[in-house]
Amino acid sequence: MALADACNFSQSFSNFAAIPTALGPQDGLSDFQNALQSSENFTIPQNYDPVRDMKTLVDGDKDVKIEFDHGTTTLAFKFKHGVIVAVDSRATAGPYIASQTVKKVIEINPYLLGTMAGGAADCSYWERVLAKQCRIHELRNKERISVAAASKLLANIVYNYKGMGLSMGTMICGWDKRGPGLYYVDSDGTRLTNDMFSVGSGSTYAYGVLDSGYNYDMSVEDAYQLGERAIYHATHRDAYSGGTVNMYHMKETGWIKVSANNVLDLHYKYAEEKKQ
Amino acid sequence: MMETGFWHGGPKPGAFYSLPGNSSTYNDMPRKHTQQPITTGTSVLGVKFDGGIILAADMLGSYGSLARFRNISRLMKVNDQTVLGAGGDYADYQHIKDIIEQRMIDEECLDDGFTYTPKALHSWMTRVMYNRRSQFNPLWNVVVVGGIQDNEPFLGFVDKIGTAFKSDVICTGYGAYIAQPLLREAYEKNNAMSEQEAKALVDRCLKVLFYRDARSFNKYEIAIVTKDGARIEGPMSSDTNWDIATMVKGYE
Amino acid sequence: MKTLGHMINSRFGSHLFDLLSSCRKNFHILSKQPKISVNIGQMDTVEEYQHGGPKQAYFNPYAFNGGTVLAVAGEDFSVVASDTRLSEGFSIFTRDNPKTYNLTSNTVLGCTGFHGDALTLTKVLEARLKMYEHEHHKPMSTKAIAAMLSTILYYKRFFPYYVNNILGGLDEEGKGCVYSFDPVGSYERESFRAGGTASSMLQPLLDNQIGFKNQIGVDQTPLTKEKAIFLVKDVFTSAAERDIYTGDQLIINVITKDGTRTEYFPLRRD
Repeated sequence: MALADACNFSQSFSNFAAIPTALGPQDGLSDFQNALQSSENFTIPQNYDPVRDMKTLVDGDKDVKIEFDHGTTTLAFKFKHGVIVAVDSRATAGPYIASQTVKKVIEINPYLLGTMAGGAADCSYWERVLAKQCRIHELRNKERISVAAASKLLANIVYNYKGMGLSMGTMICGWDKRGPGLYYVDSDGTRLTNDMFSVGSGSTYAYGVLDSGYNYDMSVEDAYQLGERAIYHATHRDAYSGGTVNMYHMKETGWIKVSANNVLDLHYKYAEEKKQ
Repeated sequence: MMETGFWHGGPKPGAFYSLPGNSSTYNDMPRKHTQQPITTGTSVLGVKFDGGIILAADMLGSYGSLARFRNISRLMKVNDQTVLGAGGDYADYQHIKDIIEQRMIDEECLDDGFTYTPKALHSWMTRVMYNRRSQFNPLWNVVVVGGIQDNEPFLGFVDKIGTAFKSDVICTGYGAYIAQPLLREAYEKNNAMSEQEAKALVDRCLKVLFYRDARSFNKYEIAIVTKDGARIEGPMSSDTNWDIATMVKGYE
Repeated sequence: MKTLGHMINSRFGSHLFDLLSSCRKNFHILSKQPKISVNIGQMDTVEEYQHGGPKQAYFNPYAFNGGTVLAVAGEDFSVVASDTRLSEGFSIFTRDNPKTYNLTSNTVLGCTGFHGDALTLTKVLEARLKMYEHEHHKPMSTKAIAAMLSTILYYKRFFPYYVNNILGGLDEEGKGCVYSFDPVGSYERESFRAGGTASSMLQPLLDNQIGFKNQIGVDQTPLTKEKAIFLVKDVFTSAAERDIYTGDQLIINVITKDGTRTEYFPLRRD
């Protein structure tokens, strides 16, 4: 260390850094801490507009093309005995079927379910955040969060990111003091409540089946049949939907998973029924 | 109509070049980074030989199609085991060179027996290039790092967006299309060539590049690292032969 | 250091605030974006905020370097394989650049797409795994690595890592497991998955040979390690025949309770 001491040399390599244009963070010589920090937080370059600047990457016709998993049919409806939630399980990246086994019902807690439509990562990340917030609510208030509050929490969170390109269409389903709850929340910040929703590219097909068979006072068995059929018909007509039909039933005692049937099996089952 | 500029798109007589970052209308204008290279260097070649590595780059600084600076060095000796060569924007290369030289002085002052190894410098260059691209403010270069570490020759590549790899043969720019096949063929035939053979090989490659790459120049430097140290040699020139030029017809 | 815990607090709309304060030094939010500038007055943590006017961006920060990765899980093993070709456009950078990264003794990551992002991501993962090991005195489980990778990817949601990740390894019970990810962190556990340029050639073959998809009356014998390795070599040989970005060499990592064994297998070099 002799020479370094004699020169009164500082250990850090940043003498040069005093001149910001020469060796500041501008030069990309960021320290280790910074690199790690960016793995634990949202990061974005300065003067960067995610919608404008990612457009060429997502829509472009170039070699570099980022394709996120997309495409869906999801539905949920309230009836006398609770809420039925049914979804397909296909994820597509452009024309390629990225997966036939996606879990599009997100189990937030025993009394809350969320559905997934739009960007798969956007839905699962923010509903995970919601799950945490709901648990914190329980710990703070010694009671479960209402479906209205939970859905509003999610709507408020995503509204803060409006215009930054999030893509999410979800239904928050639950059971609270007011009975069964069903809310639609999307990445624009829209939050609605109703007895029936369907979201995704196959939603129009699902609505057609639902509307023709729906009755608030229907039996549990009839409701299961209706939910499964609606998704099946959507997967039949919508190329972006398919795989298996996952169905949940939200009851006063919490949700149960009703079924997970491959649409191939359903197809032949329905064909058989038609013959009789 | 006659062009008023020195060349197309150039300054009017008596006026200055208008270069990015030197704009008088700075205030509300968009702040511009290196969005395109200005003074550029072309290919850098590198190949391993028995007990060392060799880098080669010509000495031309092109300004668009103008062969503007004909005696600039694009190779630097970092220390006794490491050399670096760069293509792309020459100003950005000089900036990188300044930083590395400062870091070498800092290292020297510490006097703790440690110094930048080729692998360390290569890894560090990947971070610099990647971080700059992540801020949309790239250093517009392709950098080749070469040297000897643990008695093994090392050659590494980094480009302006942080793509990086190591390889036995590295060529950048047009060299990747014209010289790389020649170098790879020679290396695959004999991966333990002597220093002299390696020198002759890069000379031949640079000559072929000079024949075909319009931004190349027949005056070059080479950097050699062996266990005896690192050195830059040159400037030197290849013996060219234009006899067949008269036989090329049809472009008159 | 910030975690999810700091990022989301009880105030609604606190995310932007935290998002901003996390964007120090290296990263800043658009200064011209009006709804963000509302908060700037409170931002004592945002240093060097004054940077002249807005900047224009023409430059493309991404490239595509090709390559294919594949992971297959068996009862008590996993296989993670990739080719070793690194290309850009129609030229081959190098024939010897594996795209698998050994993260722990029983987890291997396959990572293709933009190589600069892949390098950075694996460096970050390496650092995070070291920190975990120092803190908890044990290596991170494959399941936990998958969850962490998902959030690391999502934190770059607005300027993504252009990478396809496939994670293979053993779970806490010693069973083989595979996790596949999209570029922004959507992930799923599966038993086999191909990613990268030839994924659309490999996946259907695996669906047939390992998943026995849409076949009636087929004998669904459990996958042995030997058969898995055999299949991996076969599907890559076929991919190298038809995909220009796949070839040169195959690296196969076989993960068992005894650790990771690596073998190489030659592919077409044209």
